[in-house]
Amino acid sequence: MAIAIERPRIAARRVKRYRVHRALGHVLTYLGLFAALVFFLGPFFWIVTTSLKGNEDFFAFPPVWIPAEPSLAHYVALFTRSSGARYFTNSLVISSLSMVAALVVSLPTAYSIARWRFGGGFLSTLLLVLRMLPAIALIIPIYIMYKMLGLTNSYLGLVIIYTVLYIPFAVWLLVGFLRDFPVEIEEAAMIDGCSRLRALVQVVVPIIAPGMAVVALFAFIATWNEFLFAIVLTGIETKTMMVLVTSFTTGGTDMFYGEASASVVLGVLPAFAVAFMLQRYLVKGLALGGTKG
Amino acid sequence: MKRFALLASIAVVVVGLAVLATFAPRPAGAARPYEGETIRAVVNAEYVKYSLSLVEKDVYDKLGIKIETEVIPADAFVAKTLLEFNSGSSPWDLVMFGPSNMPDYGRHFEPLEPWIAKLKLDFGVDDIVPVFAKVMLRYQGKLVSMPYDGDIHIMYWNKVAFERADNKKKFKAKYAYDLQPPKTWKQWDDAAEFFHGWGWDGSDRKLFGAGASYKPSGSGYSYHWWRSRFFSYGGQYFDKDMKPLINTAAAVRALDEMVRTMPYYPPGVLLFESEEPKTLLVKGDIPLLYTWTSAGKRVGNPAESVIVGKAGFGLVPGAEIDGKVVHRPAITPGRGMAVSKYSKKKEATMKVLEFISLPDQSLKIVMDAKTIMDPWRVSHLRSPIFRKAFPDADKYLDAIEASFPYLVPDPVIPAADEYQRKLSFEITEALAKRKSAKDALDIAAKEWDKITERRGLEKQRAAWGEKLAEMKSLGIEYHPDWAAKAK
Repeated sequence: MAIAIERPRIAARRVKRYRVHRALGHVLTYLGLFAALVFFLGPFFWIVTTSLKGNEDFFAFPPVWIPAEPSLAHYVALFTRSSGARYFTNSLVISSLSMVAALVVSLPTAYSIARWRFGGGFLSTLLLVLRMLPAIALIIPIYIMYKMLGLTNSYLGLVIIYTVLYIPFAVWLLVGFLRDFPVEIEEAAMIDGCSRLRALVQVVVPIIAPGMAVVALFAFIATWNEFLFAIVLTGIETKTMMVLVTSFTTGGTDMFYGEASASVVLGVLPAFAVAFMLQRYLVKGLALGGTKG
Repeated sequence: MKRFALLASIAVVVVGLAVLATFAPRPAGAARPYEGETIRAVVNAEYVKYSLSLVEKDVYDKLGIKIETEVIPADAFVAKTLLEFNSGSSPWDLVMFGPSNMPDYGRHFEPLEPWIAKLKLDFGVDDIVPVFAKVMLRYQGKLVSMPYDGDIHIMYWNKVAFERADNKKKFKAKYAYDLQPPKTWKQWDDAAEFFHGWGWDGSDRKLFGAGASYKPSGSGYSYHWWRSRFFSYGGQYFDKDMKPLINTAAAVRALDEMVRTMPYYPPGVLLFESEEPKTLLVKGDIPLLYTWTSAGKRVGNPAESVIVGKAGFGLVPGAEIDGKVVHRPAITPGRGMAVSKYSKKKEATMKVLEFISLPDQSLKIVMDAKTIMDPWRVSHLRSPIFRKAFPDADKYLDAIEASFPYLVPDPVIPAADEYQRKLSFEITEALAKRKSAKDALDIAAKEWDKITERRGLEKQRAAWGEKLAEMKSLGIEYHPDWAAKAK
């Protein structure tokens, strides 16, 4: 009898202990997440608020976390005195064109490798080897070549180099997606009268769109953040946002903390926005790529 | 007939007005001899671009020339600009450069003297501080540039720390001599130790002993901080045969002292560039700092400084040798402006260079705290406006002038930038305690040998020979015995 009474008590105690443990686990998980959030987003939060502060608040003690009177003056100065609008536009144009060019060139290349083993495995290996070359090793020859061809300080020059640099990665990603795509669907489309090109564009592309979104996103972010080629191959007309950010943040940020912070915020926002917009496809695309053995 | 007369009258009036408009005296703003010209300048930071913006309107009003300024970030500046120049062209007309890199840049600059004769230019060379005129303007004997920024180090101290009776009493009890703004490195290190970790301003805050910039970036902050000690202990960059002297007893002693006193500096000092310690100074968190002269303008700015009127200005400390204190503040490294040899607008650019170098125009640039440009003309230092710009501005400018006879230039030979980067990196390695001072400096010396070998020993020796003679004329020589006897 006593045992019979004890059992529900023990069970209740166990349930209670389990609940406490689970609650504790949740608390610790959220605390960990919160700490990670503060660690990773804290500096960005500080940069954002600094970009909105007045000069007197930069070094105020105790620190001004959120300015009482936020101002866009530093953004205005960035766009007027420091030609921020020009650099921002350059980055946007170059990144977008490179992203599109990388997709346009990589898709047929990846398709031919996936369907017909074009290049017999050598091409795909060669592409990977190209990716292994450090950019710094290429910069001087590329600069000399560009100088001779008149491609320095031009959108075209930058788009070409970024496309070439990004193709290996894009092709390798797309080959994976295309190999996973059932060839029967494509053949069915062709039996129904589609040419191979039409089947690729109207049947394959819509289905592997998440994969292409991943490629597009990585191409855009990689181009937006690229610095080495941007500093060497550009001139005043084609400088990109990353060069502007660095011109504020190296060699002493000095008295321009506000503009420096504003440039950092503007430097990361577009990549953030593109990632946010493509997030849905990004998750699908990564999952799709993940099924590849 | 009447109609014809009316039309004729109108025609006469219109023609008359047109003639008047053509020959009438033009308003002053319209007298712009180079109207429509745009020149391109290249600089290494946004604040330098800002400094040019202070005179851009006047340049346009006077000459009709617009300046379009490209900023190449400081860390990539030398590599990128020399890459363009060495390819035999350049998109820039007006070029900012570090005078220590003159041997690499000089051949790409247009000599000024033929243009001075041709355009009757007046650069006011006699008004340039003699030491800058000696080390910043010429390439192979030809005048090729004008100073833009007279970078040197001076010492700043917070008078509150040094004048509080309680502090004086405690200091004397501990060190057996009077508390005063340091004149020697020994006194500096004692003061840093003494002030670190407590409220020397009477507060209960934990304040720091001194400030410094020890980041080993392209500008070589840690190297600049080290070499003032190194030279006052009798150091020199190379001997006459290009053997590096940066790992000699003077060098090791200087670095050992810096490593030993690291605990008295604020956390993060290894990442500090120019402005962080200046901010600590103006916020009253450090009692001592030697740094660029531009800090004085921040010290005097009541909008951010709590030590307006409470700051002292003086010479960077030195070493006591045979009863006399030898000071060796650094030229660090300054900025010059020159006209590109490849410019297609040389005449317009020469006029701009002349205009921005005029005493009144350059004064506007060096007086503005946001430019961090420093005075380089004697007239800047004597300017009544500058001397009254903030409380004790006159004392600040006098301290700058008092430093001029003792200044040490960089090793102004080809690959100066490479030599400095390697040394700066190793100095910070020692400061971070990843290597001993001796090991770090031995490695730096080996790196210097490699650079010399790569650039050609004979070529480097010839260039260094000239600089050695120039430094000797400034009173700077190698004294191997000083390291042991310096107090």
